[in-house]
Amino acid sequence: MTAYDTLDVHVDGHVGWLIFDRPDRGNAMDATMLAELERAWQQLAADPDVRVIVNTGNGTAFQTGLDVAQLARDKDALREQSRRTKRAELKLTAWHNQVWKPVIAAVNGVCAGGGLHFVADADIVIASSDATFLDPHVSIGQVTAYEAIALVRKSPMESICRMAFTGRHERMTAARAHQLGILSEVVAPARLRERAAALAALVGRNSPAAMAATKRALWGALELGLTDACRAGAQELVSMWGHPDQTEGPAAWAEKREPQWLATST
Amino acid sequence: MAGYEHLIVERHGPVGWLINDRPDQLNAMNARMRDEFADAWLELDRDPHVRVIVHTGNGRAFQTGVDVTEIASDGVGMERYRTSLEEWDLHFTSWHQQVWKPVITAVNGICAGGAFHWVADADIVICASDAEFFDPHVSVGQVVSIEAIALLRKMPAEAVMRMAFVGRYERMPAARAYELGMVSEVVDPPERLRERAQELAETIARNSPAAMAATKRALWGALEMGLTDACRAGAQELVSMWGHPDQAEGPAAFAERREPRWDTST
Repeated sequence: MTAYDTLDVHVDGHVGWLIFDRPDRGNAMDATMLAELERAWQQLAADPDVRVIVNTGNGTAFQTGLDVAQLARDKDALREQSRRTKRAELKLTAWHNQVWKPVIAAVNGVCAGGGLHFVADADIVIASSDATFLDPHVSIGQVTAYEAIALVRKSPMESICRMAFTGRHERMTAARAHQLGILSEVVAPARLRERAAALAALVGRNSPAAMAATKRALWGALELGLTDACRAGAQELVSMWGHPDQTEGPAAWAEKREPQWLATST
Repeated sequence: MAGYEHLIVERHGPVGWLINDRPDQLNAMNARMRDEFADAWLELDRDPHVRVIVHTGNGRAFQTGVDVTEIASDGVGMERYRTSLEEWDLHFTSWHQQVWKPVITAVNGICAGGAFHWVADADIVICASDAEFFDPHVSVGQVVSIEAIALLRKMPAEAVMRMAFVGRYERMPAARAYELGMVSEVVDPPERLRERAQELAETIARNSPAAMAATKRALWGALEMGLTDACRAGAQELVSMWGHPDQAEGPAAFAERREPRWDTST
């Protein structure tokens, strides 16, 4: 396993863990983390043992966006990040890196600004009860775009606009985010990892190939009008026909045993 | 326009107020009021002292759509509006008028039918605890279209369809609108609605006007296209702020623990 300085990346059973690990800096993304994120997503995507990925943070914050102070000192990294931002070629999240394995974000604390990328681009989001959400961009003269653009398609838009325009002067609680469907479960802080692991273990029992095609169909649907999305989704559906998992699934069900899925990497 | 007959336009600090003022007709919109909206939005949008706009109503209703009495009695009826609809040339909401300042709709009571235009087209919606929402169009032989189309993209669709088809025979209470994320705050007692709207607007007015305008363009623009294209377009809005004085002022003010002095020349 390749070593990381700003992330803790490891595999436990079928679960890949991608943990932000700059706790003294609110897990903000410095130049090293920006590079390591891309590498970590690729590594977990390519690992056939990994069927589902949990993304969380060490310390009191989940993720607080770009470490602007560090990037200001690292001109090359800043230039590269600016270029990627401008060209919409970010490589921060699973979606950016086209990872088709299910991703669970387990929000362990404050999630601010660019941290919202990892909520917006996850398939499943759970949070500790003391997690908070805010988007301070406009309070420091910055524009909110990517994170909120994805979130307005996935949750009621008014709440995202409110977060975007109140900036650092208001925070959304985990309870409200749960009501709004931005996340599906609120967990006692001490139990978050344990719960994320248990949820990931459940997801990991399903067919990796079927989940990958499902993920492509559902995220692809955000790109198109309804009828076109259904047409494209039909292709994903048909893509599984003849796959060994399609006979293994019903067979295991009939024999009351755990299915032996074909391992995949995406 | 010199004077408004059916609207009141006020300014309180950085907050522009647009108040529906036909309380005896439950703020229903006749032809004159429709024209006045077009002017009032532009007046507030062009005023550099106005950073945030609040829209509310006088009396027991927020708004109740088109003035059916005028439609039934003036000998012209809905035909008056045919061209504006067929040519998609509407001017009575902030979205129609391309107002890029944040708009808060404060629903003070009954919100019926065409009133949803201003719920759908606002960035933030709050309401009094006695506000009620319903869409009687189909109960009087009219089609629900434009306002519901926007709402479908901003909140859970089932709730919008239910309102569209139950028509005048059921009302959604404020509490349900909050649960669904159609509004982000219910103000109780109802008498405090304006005070709370002013407070929220002043909070928002502390953020960079230029960054908020670009954010608003990015988020509303995102409803026009697929996710990836929306992110690309959003990237352009994001980059448009680079080099703007607010981008230096924001972090500087934060570091010096003072209120930022935003550039208001644009």
